[in-house]
Amino acid sequence: MNTDRTAATWWNRLNLAFDELFILIALLLLIAFFSVTADNFFSTGTLSAILSQLPALTVVTIGMTLVLISGGIDLSVGSVVALSGAVIGVAFTVLGLPLFVAACLGIVAGGCAGLVNGVLGSYLRLPIFIVTLGMLEVGRGLAYMVTGSQTAYIGPSIQPLALPIDVLGVSPAFLLSLGLVVLAQLALTRTVFGRYLIAIGTNEQAAKISGIRTEPYLTWVLVISGLLAGVGGLMNTAYLGASDPNAALGLELSAIAAAVIGGTSLMGGRGSIVGAFIGVLIISVLQNGLAQLGVSEPSKRLITGLVIILAVLLDRWRSHS
Amino acid sequence: MMTARLAIEGLSKRFAAPVLKRTSLRIETGCVHGLVGENGAGKSTLINIVSGLLKADEGILQLNGKTYDPHGRKEALGLGIALASQELSLIENLSIAENILLTALPQKLLSLDRRNLLREANRMMTEVGLFHISSDTLLSQLSLAEKQLVELAKALSMDPARCQLLILDEPTSALTQPQADRLHAIIRQRAAAGLSVIYVSHRLDDVLQVCDSISVLRDGEMQLTAPSSALTSKDLITAMSGEELFRNEDHGHSESGDVRLRVKNFSSADYPDPISLECHRGEILGLAGLTGSGRSELLHGIFGLVRKHQGEVTLIENGAEISIDSASKAVANGMALIAEDRKSQGIFSNKSVALNTTMAGLGKLGSSLAAALPKREQQISAEMIERLQIKCEGPLQVIDRLSGGNQQKVLFARWLQAEAEVWLLDEPTRGIDVNAKIAIHNQLKELRDNGGALIIASSELEELITLCDRILVLSNRKAIATFERGRWSKEKILAAAFSEHQTQRAV
Repeated sequence: MNTDRTAATWWNRLNLAFDELFILIALLLLIAFFSVTADNFFSTGTLSAILSQLPALTVVTIGMTLVLISGGIDLSVGSVVALSGAVIGVAFTVLGLPLFVAACLGIVAGGCAGLVNGVLGSYLRLPIFIVTLGMLEVGRGLAYMVTGSQTAYIGPSIQPLALPIDVLGVSPAFLLSLGLVVLAQLALTRTVFGRYLIAIGTNEQAAKISGIRTEPYLTWVLVISGLLAGVGGLMNTAYLGASDPNAALGLELSAIAAAVIGGTSLMGGRGSIVGAFIGVLIISVLQNGLAQLGVSEPSKRLITGLVIILAVLLDRWRSHS
Repeated sequence: MMTARLAIEGLSKRFAAPVLKRTSLRIETGCVHGLVGENGAGKSTLINIVSGLLKADEGILQLNGKTYDPHGRKEALGLGIALASQELSLIENLSIAENILLTALPQKLLSLDRRNLLREANRMMTEVGLFHISSDTLLSQLSLAEKQLVELAKALSMDPARCQLLILDEPTSALTQPQADRLHAIIRQRAAAGLSVIYVSHRLDDVLQVCDSISVLRDGEMQLTAPSSALTSKDLITAMSGEELFRNEDHGHSESGDVRLRVKNFSSADYPDPISLECHRGEILGLAGLTGSGRSELLHGIFGLVRKHQGEVTLIENGAEISIDSASKAVANGMALIAEDRKSQGIFSNKSVALNTTMAGLGKLGSSLAAALPKREQQISAEMIERLQIKCEGPLQVIDRLSGGNQQKVLFARWLQAEAEVWLLDEPTRGIDVNAKIAIHNQLKELRDNGGALIIASSELEELITLCDRILVLSNRKAIATFERGRWSKEKILAAAFSEHQTQRAV
C-alpha cells in the first residue's frame, strides 16, 4: 500500500516534470537536425546571432507568460518595447540625461503602460484583450510622437549591454534575461504571488471565495509585463545601437507563440517560465537554422507557423493522454 | 376505462441514490394535472424522463396507449411533448421571435422566412401577454418575468393539432398575478380543446385553482392522487411532509455560547428584504427554503462576495467586533464559504489536491512574496488526506480525478487548514454518496463541538433536522420564521417555506 502510494507520487512528479522535459527534447531534436543539415550551424557566428537576438524576446515572453497564466493577455508588449526604446533614445540624445537614468525612464514608461492596462482590466472590468489592443496602438503612436518618427542614433555608449563579455562569450543582456527567467520561475512556483496567479487563472470565482483579492494581482501582473517590456526595449535599443519607433513590430505574437510552445494555456491557469524560455529558444533556433539552410523568408514564416500549430496539437494530445 | 394520454407505470431512476421509486401516474386526455412535492422529491427527474431529457432505469411509459420511449428531447418533441422548463431553455443572443420558434423556424428556399417568423411569433406573444415589446428584441434585454413568458410562448407555439402533452415546470415563479392568471386562462382553454397538461409548481393555491387533479410526490414515491376539488393546501402540505415519523433525536450537545456572527438589517441586490440573524459559538443554524428562496444569495452576501445595499455583518471574537465588507476580509478573520456549485465556485480544476488544499490558508503567510514551498504544501495536504480520510493517490493527484464526495472533503480541508471558525455551507452534501455524507455530517458536528459557528443551507429538510440547533426558514427571499430544536415539525417548516408563494396572490 505504502509503496503503491510512493510509486504513484513518483509517477505524478514525473508527469509534472514531463511538461518541460518534452519541449526540451523537441529543442534538442531541432538543434540536432540543423547541425546535421546546415554546414556551419555550430559556428560562433550562428550562436552569437541567436544569443544577441534572444534577450528582448525572452524578457517580454516572461511577462506574457505570467499574464496568460493569470487568465489574461497582453497584446501591447511590442509597442511598449518601441515606446521604452523611444523614451531611452530621446532622454539620452535630446535631453542629455545619463544613460542609466534614461534606461530607468524607459522601463518606467513600460510600467506605466502596464499600470493603465491593469487598472482598466481589473478594477474597471474591461476586457483585457481589447484594453491591450488599444494600448498596442497608443504605445506605438506615443513612440512615434516621442521620436518625431525618426530613428535616434545612440551609438557605442549603449551597445556593451548587447555585446558578449570576453570571458563568458555571452552579453550582459543575455545574463540579465536568464536571471529574470530564474527569478520569475521561482516567483511562479514558490511564492504566494505565483499560487494566486495560478488560482485566479484557473477559477476566478473560487479564488475570490478563497479570500484572494483578485484586482491587485491582476493589475500587478500587467505592470510586471509592462516593466519587462520596458527592459526589452532597453535590450533591443542596445542591440540596435539606436532607438527605432518601428522596433518590435509583432513581437507580442512571437511572445505568445513562445509561451504556447512552452506549454502555457491561453485559457489561463497553466504555464511555466522555463518552458516559455525553451519556447523562445525553439523559435530562435528555427529561424536561424532555416536561414542557414537558405530557406526563403516566406517559407520561414510558413514553417514557424506550422510549428506553433503543431506545438498546440501535441499539447492537446499530452493533456488528454 | 379510456386510454390515458400518458400512463406511467413503475418508473424508477437512481443517480447516487434512488430518486424515483416505482412511481406511477396517469394523465387523462384534456386534463390539467398538478404535480407537487418538496425539493428533491423527484418532480424534475420525472419531468425530464417524460420530456426525453433523461432515460429511466426501469418502468413503462405509454402515450395514447402506445409504448413511449423517446431517445432524446428531439424525438419527444416530434411526438408532441412540449416543455416549458424552469431553467429557461432560451438563447440570450437571439431575438424573441427566433427563440419562440427555434425548433420550428419557418424556412424559405435556403433562408429564413422572416415574414412568417414574425407573424407567428407576434401571435404567440399576444397570447401570453407580451404586447409592449417588439418581437425583434434580443432576449438578453428582457427581465426575468418576460423571459419566462417567452419560454411559455415557445412551449405553447407547438401546433395544437400535434401537441399531445404540455409540461410546465414552475411556469409562474417570476410572474405577477395578472400574468399568471392570463396563463391559467390559456391553459384551461387549451385543455378544453383536448390538450393534456402537467403543471408543476410550488404555488399551491395556483395548483389548486388551475388543475383538475393533483398528485403529491415525496422521496420518489407517489403519496396521493385526487381531484383538486377534494383537496386543500393543508392536505397537500401534510402529504408532502409525510407523517411525523422523522427522528427528532437529541444529539445532547452543550448549550451554545456567545454570539460569533451578527447580521443586522442586511440586504443586497440579490436579497432585497433586510434580514437580521445571529449565529453563536457551538451552534449550527440551518437555512431552509425552496429553490429560489434566496439561501445562496444570502450566504454570498454575508461572506462579502456581493456589494451590500445596507446593514452590517459583524464577527465578534472575545468582545472585539470586526465588520465584514469583502470576501478577503471575511477569510482573513476566520470565515469560510463552501459554495453550492463545487465545479464553478469551489475547486481549482486540473490542479493538484495539494494546491486545492492550501489556497485559502496562504493569506495567513502575510505577504504575497512569502514562500509557498511545494514540499510544505504537500506535507500539509498529506496530513489532511489522512485526517479526513480523503480517498486519492496523494497530494499531487489532480483533483478532478476524485469522486464528488472526496472533492468536497478537499474543500473542507482547505478551510480547516485556514483555521476557519465561522462556516457558511451551501448544500454541503449535495450529489455525494452516503458514506461521504455521513463523514461530512460528523465533521460538521465536530466543528460545532469545538466552538465553531456554522450556517448550513440545504434543500434537504431531513439533513437540517438532524444537524441543526435552530432552523431559519426563507420563502421568496424573505425570512419567515425561526424554529428551535424540539419546537419544529417538518410540516411547520414546509408551511413556512411555502408561505410567501401562497400569500402572493393576495398582494
